[in-house]
Amino acid sequence: MLRKNTWVRLLTIPLILTLLLAGCTGNDKGTDNKTAQPESNQTDQGTNNGSTDSGKPATWIADRKVKGLVFMGTDDYTEDMNPEIKAKLKELTGIDLEVEIMVADHSIDGLIAGLASNDLPDFITFYLNNSGRPEMPVILKAAREEMFTDLAPLMKDTKVYSKYLQDDYLPLDTRYGVMFRPEFNGSTYFIHMNVARQGGYATRKYAGGPYIRKDIADALGVDPRTINTTEKLYELAKKIKAGNFKDNNGKDVVPIGPNYWGGQEIGVLFNDLEWGSDDQRIKKDASGTILHESQTPYALKKVEYIQKLLKEKLIHPEFFTMDESRATEGALNGTWAIIGNAHNYQEFNRDMHYLPLGPIDFVDRPYQMQVDFKSGYSGWAIPTTTKNPEDIMKLADFLASREGKLLWQYGLEGRDYTLDAKGNPLAKKEVIDLKVSNPEEAKKLGFAGVGNSWGELLGGTDTDRMADFGEMEYGDAVAPEVNAGALKIADYWGWEEKRKNAKIVDGYTPLSFIGEFEHGTELKAAFENYDDSLIRAYYAKNMDEAKKILDSASKQLEATGLQQFLELLKTKDADPKTHVKL
Amino acid sequence: METHVTPSVNTSKRSRLWRNILLHKYLYLMLLPCLVFFIIFSYIPMTGIILAFKEYKFNAGILGSPWAGFKYFERFFNDYQSGMLIKNTLIISCMKLFIGLPFPILLALMFNEVKNRYFRNIAQSISYLPHFLSWVVVVGLTQRLLAPDNGLLNQIVGFFGGDSSVFYMMEPHYFYQIMFGSHIWKSVGWDSIIYLAAIAGVNPDMYEAAKMDGASRTREIWHITLPSIQPTILILFILSLGNILSAGFDQLYLLRTPGNMHLAEILDTYVIRVGLQGGQYGYATAVGLMQGLIGLILVVAANRISKKVSDTSLW
Repeated sequence: MLRKNTWVRLLTIPLILTLLLAGCTGNDKGTDNKTAQPESNQTDQGTNNGSTDSGKPATWIADRKVKGLVFMGTDDYTEDMNPEIKAKLKELTGIDLEVEIMVADHSIDGLIAGLASNDLPDFITFYLNNSGRPEMPVILKAAREEMFTDLAPLMKDTKVYSKYLQDDYLPLDTRYGVMFRPEFNGSTYFIHMNVARQGGYATRKYAGGPYIRKDIADALGVDPRTINTTEKLYELAKKIKAGNFKDNNGKDVVPIGPNYWGGQEIGVLFNDLEWGSDDQRIKKDASGTILHESQTPYALKKVEYIQKLLKEKLIHPEFFTMDESRATEGALNGTWAIIGNAHNYQEFNRDMHYLPLGPIDFVDRPYQMQVDFKSGYSGWAIPTTTKNPEDIMKLADFLASREGKLLWQYGLEGRDYTLDAKGNPLAKKEVIDLKVSNPEEAKKLGFAGVGNSWGELLGGTDTDRMADFGEMEYGDAVAPEVNAGALKIADYWGWEEKRKNAKIVDGYTPLSFIGEFEHGTELKAAFENYDDSLIRAYYAKNMDEAKKILDSASKQLEATGLQQFLELLKTKDADPKTHVKL
Repeated sequence: METHVTPSVNTSKRSRLWRNILLHKYLYLMLLPCLVFFIIFSYIPMTGIILAFKEYKFNAGILGSPWAGFKYFERFFNDYQSGMLIKNTLIISCMKLFIGLPFPILLALMFNEVKNRYFRNIAQSISYLPHFLSWVVVVGLTQRLLAPDNGLLNQIVGFFGGDSSVFYMMEPHYFYQIMFGSHIWKSVGWDSIIYLAAIAGVNPDMYEAAKMDGASRTREIWHITLPSIQPTILILFILSLGNILSAGFDQLYLLRTPGNMHLAEILDTYVIRVGLQGGQYGYATAVGLMQGLIGLILVVAANRISKKVSDTSLW
């Protein structure tokens, strides 16, 4: 028989083991409290040039470790920091930065799980295009439940982020919809990023939309820029089919193929049949009435058009559902005579073997480029559990300064770039060559120019590359040939002219207000149901069946309060602070 | 006196139990990690069910969040989709449960009849393999096979002069066939193992006796093999009933297209889409709890019926 103390031992051993295992999994809050110093003990926090009396640089913040958790895709951000870059950041600021990406099927799943775990590091970052993005209600809930630190007082003493407090700096949505929401009473709990320094500033000359194979357009004697209606697109597709063109593997081409990144609904290809943008479907008519697409005849017109394309085999049958790998493979093989949607900065088309098509006119007027006065993208917040949150704010401010941006966008002076007479960085040729020949190896150098965007998480804002570094894109000054193809396409498309005549808008997307609507959850589900029903209708046997499907989705929308939501939009649009993009 | 008898019986029972445990102490010691595992990973997480009745707040945690009563249950049953979701879930899981039940049994019977050991081993191994493929791969393969125009099925149909442009994945008409076919293809080999094991346990003397009486192979299967594995079939069936409201998330989530969504949307996909992706943990837990409770009730009921009818039961 075992004695009493033997039993105690037997039970204790597994318990200790369990505790040990649990301990090893860690509860790393990211903050190194031992090294964190109170603000009063720290030296000058500014991002001014010069050094302090203690011998530390003027950019010095605090000798501490800072950990950030990224709720964004691993394709967009990288957590590996180059040791030399990391050391330089430490030397300049005292901060030992560590970035971790939370991997999840959908970034929003990771964000929700991370917030629910209540175990957050010094700062978190997340996607946030505008206040209508699905992440917004989640972070708003977290802010209302006092998960985040109020950043407004911390921003006051900063060099770059204090601009956010100026009346004319932020776009409407960022100011009143995302950051300084009326219910926050002057506080703000997250920072919206990637705001341009100047209104209407474009960082890149984007020419997005459908693209057509140049050899096919040439063979047919068609100038792709003249295809500005879906009727002309249909005629062109018929000519392509009749032309018996082949792809790289000698197989028949598909006249209209899907989006380069995978099958989905593509508004830009069917602009003159789209009521509002394809992710909103809400727009004002000529009399000023706000309508949803389901209340207009355009839904049926589009169904009729797509059914015609499908029936005559002018569009790929899996146009709306194809997975990304097959869609991209088709574009690379030249199987799609027309790629539904692509853009001019893609590597595969540097030689311009695909040309931009259109653009297709809008449903109620000729095409006109629309430029946001300013927009935002991604965001970050400091959990209330973070010690000395002012250090994180100062780190962000340093990374958003020219000196900080130079470090995370261009790397190390001498190793990765030199400075010209004006003080602008000139990327080293060997770095650019490495980026072209071995992008993965180049990425290890650890800065945004070579594809490692750790600094953008906190520092990517107040953007004006031309003013800061004398070039629109990394490496333009040294190797203009890298972006030459993209810029030639932009020229061909008439980017400059279109930009000159562009409509600059500052406002909210209609669906930004769905969270404020009483039956928002139900209406959102009904909108999703409508989107699915529209695609179902494309594949319906005939127009009667399609009409039935759409009628049912419309009834669902009406029953869940579509009309009341449109009334709310009308009220919002009338207020200059909540102008809606309609 | 009765009052004294009961405690003494209990005491003697308890001491007998302890004596038994001490006698087989090493076996019980081996059981300990298993118990710890289940307590940590199965029983402690079960307390999360409380979320179904809580208004979850990030900063307050599960216990600190305020009570929500039966709000989420009411919301679910008031949702216009709830009827469709329950109907779809029941149809799909019943198809898998009832129509799918004979397939692994038939396969096991077929394998049992194959006398060539090498051929049987190879055939068995091939039939198990799909079990190890993830649903992402299986649905990817299905999509390629059924793709319009260049999919294998369409090409075959076209070869014989039929319409080769059918988009099977988008047409609701073909949804159940695709769902059921892919489910059987993936699971039949693996599910047949347990029946093969049960068949292997049948006493060979019974077959000998049957042969002596002049029974054919079909008669042997009908009168010896099937009755012998009947308890196994019943137990597995009762256990499967517990999942009647879980029709298989991965498969349905991946097979769902705008064309078949009104048939393919089930409770599991709804919980993930509306509950978890929308951060509504309480709501998701309430729907999940409902699925679990209905499953439990069905298992208990089926167990009772089975015990009465065939004397085979889980407990």
